[in-house]
Amino acid sequence: MGKNTIKNNIRTLRFLAGEMTQQALADKVGVSRQTIVAIEKEKYSPSLELAFKIARVFDKPLEEVFAFKPEDDTHKTKH
Amino acid sequence: MSYREKENIINIFSGLLITGLYSWIVYQRHVQGLFDLTEDFSKWGVILLIFIGVSIVARIIIYIIFHILNYIATREEDVPPADERDKLIRLKAMRNGYVVFSGGFVLSVLALAIGMPVYGIFIAFVGFGLLAEIIENSSQIYYYRKGV
Repeated sequence: MGKNTIKNNIRTLRFLAGEMTQQALADKVGVSRQTIVAIEKEKYSPSLELAFKIARVFDKPLEEVFAFKPEDDTHKTKH
Repeated sequence: MSYREKENIINIFSGLLITGLYSWIVYQRHVQGLFDLTEDFSKWGVILLIFIGVSIVARIIIYIIFHILNYIATREEDVPPADERDKLIRLKAMRNGYVVFSGGFVLSVLALAIGMPVYGIFIAFVGFGLLAEIIENSSQIYYYRKGV
């Protein structure tokens, strides 16, 4: 199972939000801490609804929290 | 290790334990001549129905014991509610389990067509059912660890 193509800044945003814990974020958006861990490690791409909820917690637009980086782009940047 | 992963490991071992024990008891009775499973197919129906009941009750008991032991070890009283990731993992793992069971079903029917005794198909159902359950739970552990 390779890393997915949805990148995110959740770790940085948590830090900027006064080192918000993963559990606190999980409670705010209604998922388990393990799910937040998986999203941060880019092992799971959240649903659109969950992505919006996370962005809302940080009071940021969706594109400042998540970014779509297809594998083709990664290959292109390597050349 | 998360609660879900532990739950899956318990499911695998309880499946092996229950199926193994029940199969051994049924086989012993067959050997003792209490019933003939090679001829009496209605008995297979009774055996499989009892197996479903025994399996449900045994799993409830094992699950309660697991929950108590997990509480003693982690002090986490509540079972975490399933979120969208849990549900997606469960669905994908269930798909894998169904593929294995369906494959087993087709293989069993093929074996029957080329001369396997009829009682063999009942044994194959139980065997592939257990295999499908192991695959389903192993898949969940895999998806939890490697990502989905």
